[in-house]
Amino acid sequence: MSTTHSDTRSYLDNTGDNPAVRARLVVGDNDFHAITEKVCGIVEMPKTPKMWWVAFAISSSLTLVLFAMIGYLITTGIGVWGLNVPVGWGYAIVNFVFWVGIGHAGTLISAILFLLRQRWRTSINRFAEAMTIFAVVCAGIFPGIHVGRIWFAYWLFPIPNQMLMWPNFRSPLLWDVFAVGTYATVSLLFWYMGMIPDLASIRDRATTRLRYYIYGFLSLGWRSSNRHWHRFEFAYLLLAALATPLVLSVHSVVSFDFAVSIMPGWHTTIFPPYFVAGAIFSGFAMVVTLIIPTRKLFHLEEIITKRHLENMAKIMLATGMMVGLAYSTEFFMAWYSGNQYEAFTFLNRAFGPYAWAYWIMVTCNVVVPQVFWFSKLRNNTLILWIASVLINVGMWFERFVIVVSSLSRDYLPSSWGYYRPTAIDVLTFVGSFGLFFTLFLLFIRFLPLIGMAEVKGVMPQAHLDRPGHKGHGDYHGDIAGAEVV
Amino acid sequence: MSSIKPTGATYWRSLDELSRTPEFAEAVQREFPNDEFDTLPPATRRQFLMVMGASLAMAGLTACRWPKEEIVPFAHRPEFRVPGVPEHFATSMEIGGAALGMLVTSFDGRPIKAEGNELHPDSLGALSAVAQAQVLQLYDPDRSRRLLLRESGQEFVKRWDDFRAIVPAQFAGDGAGIAVLAEASSSSTQAKLREKFLGARPGARWYEYEPLSRDNEREGTRLVFGSAQRVHPELTHAAVVACFDADPLFDHPASLRLAREFAAARDPESGAGARLYAAESTYSLTGVRADDRFAVASNRVPALLAQVAHRMVADHGVDLPAAAAGFAGSVDSAASDAEARFVQALANDLAAHPGYSVILVGPRQAPAVHALAAVLNHALDGVNHTVTYSSVPDPDRPSHFEAIAELAARMGSGEIETLLILGGNPAYNAPGDLGFAELLAKVPTTIHLSLYDDETSQRCTWHLPCAHTLESWGDGAAWDGTVTLRQPLIEPLYGGRSAIEVIALVAGDEPISGRDLVRRSLGQDLPAMSSEVGWRGALRDGVVDGTAWQKTTPKLSPSALAGAVDSLRSVLDTPDPTSDRLELVVMGDAKVLDGRFSNNGWLQELPDAITKVTWDNALLISPATARELGIGDGEVVVVEANGATLELATYVLPGQARNSVCVALGYGRTAAGQVGDGVGVDANPLRTVAAPYVLRGATIRGTGRQYALATTQDHFAIDTIGFNERNHRVENLVREASLDAYLANPDIFHEYDHHPPLISLWKDHEYEGEQWGMAIDLNTCIGCNACVVACQAENNIPVVGREQVLNQREMQWIRLDRYFKTDPDVPIDEIDNAEVVFQPMTCIQCENAPCEQVCPVAATQHTPDGLNAMIYNRCVGTRYCSNNCPVKVRRFNFFNYHKDLADTTKMQFNPEVTVRARGVMEKCTFCVQRIEAVRINARNDNRPIADGEITPACAQTCPTRAITFGNLNDPKSKVSHSREEHRSYATLAELNIRPRTHYLARLRNTAEESGGESHAPSHAEADTHGKESV
Amino acid sequence: MENQTMTAGDETVLYGYLAEFDKVDDLLVGAATVRDAGYTKWDAHTPFVIHGLDAAMGVKKTILPYVVFGAGLTGTTAGILLQWWTNAIDYPYLISGKPLFSLPANIPVAFETTILFAAISALVGMLALNGLPRLYHPLFRSRAFKRATDDHFFISIEADDPLFDADATRELLESISGRKVEEVEDVV
Repeated sequence: MSTTHSDTRSYLDNTGDNPAVRARLVVGDNDFHAITEKVCGIVEMPKTPKMWWVAFAISSSLTLVLFAMIGYLITTGIGVWGLNVPVGWGYAIVNFVFWVGIGHAGTLISAILFLLRQRWRTSINRFAEAMTIFAVVCAGIFPGIHVGRIWFAYWLFPIPNQMLMWPNFRSPLLWDVFAVGTYATVSLLFWYMGMIPDLASIRDRATTRLRYYIYGFLSLGWRSSNRHWHRFEFAYLLLAALATPLVLSVHSVVSFDFAVSIMPGWHTTIFPPYFVAGAIFSGFAMVVTLIIPTRKLFHLEEIITKRHLENMAKIMLATGMMVGLAYSTEFFMAWYSGNQYEAFTFLNRAFGPYAWAYWIMVTCNVVVPQVFWFSKLRNNTLILWIASVLINVGMWFERFVIVVSSLSRDYLPSSWGYYRPTAIDVLTFVGSFGLFFTLFLLFIRFLPLIGMAEVKGVMPQAHLDRPGHKGHGDYHGDIAGAEVV
Repeated sequence: MSSIKPTGATYWRSLDELSRTPEFAEAVQREFPNDEFDTLPPATRRQFLMVMGASLAMAGLTACRWPKEEIVPFAHRPEFRVPGVPEHFATSMEIGGAALGMLVTSFDGRPIKAEGNELHPDSLGALSAVAQAQVLQLYDPDRSRRLLLRESGQEFVKRWDDFRAIVPAQFAGDGAGIAVLAEASSSSTQAKLREKFLGARPGARWYEYEPLSRDNEREGTRLVFGSAQRVHPELTHAAVVACFDADPLFDHPASLRLAREFAAARDPESGAGARLYAAESTYSLTGVRADDRFAVASNRVPALLAQVAHRMVADHGVDLPAAAAGFAGSVDSAASDAEARFVQALANDLAAHPGYSVILVGPRQAPAVHALAAVLNHALDGVNHTVTYSSVPDPDRPSHFEAIAELAARMGSGEIETLLILGGNPAYNAPGDLGFAELLAKVPTTIHLSLYDDETSQRCTWHLPCAHTLESWGDGAAWDGTVTLRQPLIEPLYGGRSAIEVIALVAGDEPISGRDLVRRSLGQDLPAMSSEVGWRGALRDGVVDGTAWQKTTPKLSPSALAGAVDSLRSVLDTPDPTSDRLELVVMGDAKVLDGRFSNNGWLQELPDAITKVTWDNALLISPATARELGIGDGEVVVVEANGATLELATYVLPGQARNSVCVALGYGRTAAGQVGDGVGVDANPLRTVAAPYVLRGATIRGTGRQYALATTQDHFAIDTIGFNERNHRVENLVREASLDAYLANPDIFHEYDHHPPLISLWKDHEYEGEQWGMAIDLNTCIGCNACVVACQAENNIPVVGREQVLNQREMQWIRLDRYFKTDPDVPIDEIDNAEVVFQPMTCIQCENAPCEQVCPVAATQHTPDGLNAMIYNRCVGTRYCSNNCPVKVRRFNFFNYHKDLADTTKMQFNPEVTVRARGVMEKCTFCVQRIEAVRINARNDNRPIADGEITPACAQTCPTRAITFGNLNDPKSKVSHSREEHRSYATLAELNIRPRTHYLARLRNTAEESGGESHAPSHAEADTHGKESV
Repeated sequence: MENQTMTAGDETVLYGYLAEFDKVDDLLVGAATVRDAGYTKWDAHTPFVIHGLDAAMGVKKTILPYVVFGAGLTGTTAGILLQWWTNAIDYPYLISGKPLFSLPANIPVAFETTILFAAISALVGMLALNGLPRLYHPLFRSRAFKRATDDHFFISIEADDPLFDADATRELLESISGRKVEEVEDVV
């Protein structure tokens, strides 16, 4: 089938909003095989592109920096960070919340958009899910290393230990252990399961014995049987249904670390929705930041289309507004509650010693997304990319402001303090990006970064627009004489 | 003699390993491992520790390492000694010629904690921060551990025998050319030995020098009475106390007693409401407590006192003795309305309370000012009521500064052949204009007995290691003369000898032990002492009852007074300081005094009560003067006075007098040891014999450079938002009202608590049995820091150093929160004066502890007796508890702070308390180890725990008894009673944390508020008091 | 690949027939036909989910949802029991004056365990019901079948289907796929 150039716009541009025309999810002259070629082609490349090597060299050396910093930390003590009393949490926890937040876009795209029948997700969900996994890996490191006696961190798990003691389930940190642990596991299952058919495709195209065995093993002997597809679809639906409340719960639980405490600026009921909105906001920003270069590098403009980018821009605009609303609500409550400590905390955020951080946060998270109101700007890949990077910065500072500025000035003026990160703090943070990108580069080189089976499923050739079809995941027979047995 | 060559010795680890080394075998042979030292190179502490180890190991082998002299009561019943059960020995330490009684806890032969001796008149069971830190000094690895002979640029290690060998030659003949420079001493043993020494050597001279001397007071009394007298303030029944640059509550040999009396004189529950006035240039702890404080340059303080005299005579017809009439007229004009108001209020109050008022003048004021005060106290009928006199030992000796000046002159003229310096550190702390350090080179033989190989020792030919207070025998007199004994708790670790032993040695006495010297001397003074029973009783008590000096009622001597009036005139004539001719007040540091405790980590890291500065001295300057000179807070400035300059950082302190800057002595040491070297700057070079305390005509200029002072609390100067909020919160945190307002409306302090009812989601937990609680009386807390050090000693709290304090990682469990209270209408950049209030803050043991619920591993939980317990070995260090602590009293081990600790220092550790590992959270436990110790005894005796039986270290040492601890479930316990007082309130109660520590609000009793009427005790009381004190 | 090619001396039996399609519609019609012919041991192979194919094949609805629901309930119970037993029974301690066991504080963990158990059961259940992992399958011996994961569609009928008849079945398949049917051999 060939696509007809119905309008004057570039054939790559499918960002029209005319409800009469179903916007194409995949553009260009592509049949099923072409998709397979494009996606598997990346994995099968005989020669890895130079750019990849350059990127990998940088990111892997940053990863080494991360490990070096952790080694130094473990051998020397938490004192190598800038922490003190009153500010007992700094970069480590900020990074943890930041990375967990990043992860959320992945699950959101793969689960929530799936349930909402947003078929455009198919081109980017694999990619986003991978991002989730790696972000959670990065996030998982920090709670682990931020404790004073890292070698006893396992006491946080409910496993019998030499003291015959159990952890304290009233502590939000323990809820965290379960929430993040579950989140990591479920995301991994979700990601892997979605990949099985595509791994089978690579297996079946394998030209070398090694690749055949590896991908053969990973694809678990998938033979695209429709009876399997049936259960596969069901399992996928169920996982999506489970992942949706999960993703909302994870950042809610993370926010409990703060909301359950009694610190002014932390102790507030707005945190769960506020954190979730922020997480989705930052997550999409990170997807955009990553996907724009990737689709250029591997020429995937026809699969990851401008419409995908535009949709994500719209989501960022929406969540950005939610975050902005949360900021103002906090201020309103601080004033309305009449609580002097609360009131001071927010005054102090905006005009105290950490005002600079606060205003960076507001600029990046509230002001910058406003450009997405204009279709010209949001459809400009470069502007979109820059904005997404700024949003990532802003969201990191949001966590910094929440964690540090609240702690630095609490109830007793006598114990007020100021937190300055050390070089170790900064390098550890930078190193975590190294780890993230390293994993990511390995992923796009060795695994199918687009869900082929799903993309094919939404192509015109798959006859989705056959009359009588009631949409994705619809099992009513539409063939004469068909009935469920 | 063996010249030094370093040898690489191995660090000893275990007894077995050790016993294989020849050094050990040898050490075991000798009785005194000390003699081993002459084979040691000076540089390596390891070498020393090895032998230390050997001696320790011997202790292990021979059951215990006790002095060979018997120590009563231990020597009496060794078979009752249960290893691991701490014992207490009464002993004493001496600073500036006054002996302070201590009770030292010894654990298996290791003294680990010093507390006050209840029987001692100057201690009454309390002990100052400095005195408590003696225990740490005892184990200081930097202490000198060998005799050194320095000649022709070389160093030789010697042994005592070598020194004994040169004595006859050096101290022969009639003593011409022989001089001894000693610290002030109240020891009658030393006095006798001195007489013996001088008697045999008529030509020899004996000089006494203390860089921080109270001689001005002594000379002042001479001006009034014709003979030197010792002044004893008696505050118990005082109604009006006026302090002129005086700090009776902290900077006085009897300050512990005076603080206790003052607390009693202000106990609102017993109706007592003494009013305290203070006129001073820089904040003293007495000034902090003052109801009416007037910040004025020290140079103008005499004028204030003169005006008070004038007003009392003019307005109230107080009649001065004829000879002293001249005092009254000397000044009659106030410099400002504020000054006039202060003078008038004070004059009225003093005159209104004859017999109940006292005027105290500080040591930095000239003798004439003390004379004036003495006359006024006389006129106000204070003598034998609010102030008593007694004779002083050695009344005819020249004042300390005259003495050192004369010695310096004779050294300069080359008259002195042999100079024996007993303790002290004159090369460092003699007034700068003497150039004492250089003069030492002009003396052929200089011998310095010292704890450290310090600045003076390094310039002397001989250095002799001195035995530490806790290692030596001795005696002394309390400020009131009570005979006080000193007994060693441990064999001299470094082979040192005490001053009396060295004097005995040079006096040609057959070398006998310190114990025999002391016992012989006491036996001569007090017949009772010659009996074994009397002697042992005295050792047990540490004091000899009824040996206080006879109180005298000296008569005014008109002839002397005439001179006094003249010299006061000359004092009053000096022009007041201006911003370009500042006054520089040089004071003794509250922690390291004149620098003698510079190498003590506890004291260096102790936050200064007012500035909260650690590990440094700063130039205190008033905000107004700083603005005038365009100098910022923390800016490095160059101070010039008497031709010498000083470069240090400023600390802008509201309440500091205008045009008067202040710097503490005792810093800038160059040979103090690893801890004290290079901390702060040395102000001694600026001092002169003529003006050792108050230097006129000083100038300062800013360098624009900033220097970070390691403070444990915000500076006064912070951003405006923080400043306003801090002001706003203080009144709720540290509740305060005027005495009259309180008496009128006892519930005044609870008008602050408006919060919703404190209800719980769940049924409240029932707390059965003993429930520990604490009450801290802010009305009697004087911010002396004694509790902080007591806690540090008791609980093995590490010293973390300046860098860590700069990172806000100090570890002291008790934080003495200091707040400046300023007039809310005055913006931050116009403030000049401020009130200071203290709030001792440590874990308040909340019942609904926010820290507990957030700990993921339950490392902090509630004990059945209501303690918020911290389980160190369970803690993984998430620091969440600290974040969630509303009072931020939890301390985190960011590093392994004990890693580099010397083995000797480890000997100080309290074995009852865990030494916390790296990455572990810690905090106040209400001294749970003391609670359990008492509980175990009570269980064994099958009886309930009595009220007051348990005292945490902080409460035990508090001079004003501001801290009460006990069982809240016992309605009759003292703590329950204080809980019921109207003044009792809980910090941050609105958070529903239900703290177990309550505070008793602070009372202020200014003249305006009470219309000049102070709350004097009834006259009946006064008469009885009059009788008992005569 | 080599392992797919027959080597001399290999004892083989017929596994079944494999019909190939390249249009979705043909597959759907074909599937319906085979279903109506009453075959039971047969399957369709498609590179992606084709909607309506389940109906066309008459695939029964899977029991997976019930499995997952059961696992979820187990997770909830396990979560609550764990917290109750560890904090209120086995090692009780007083924390911030709170009760030893109160549901509000235990909801988050119980919720997470629910999700965890359910999610794991969803994947494991799906694989188990599909008889996966199964790394070897006779169909892998067919070279054409490789396109089943790319762009072609297949219907396979197993030889041991009761209705299987070497010729009739072949005709049926050829009639619907309109091309030659491949015989898939299996090694004994």
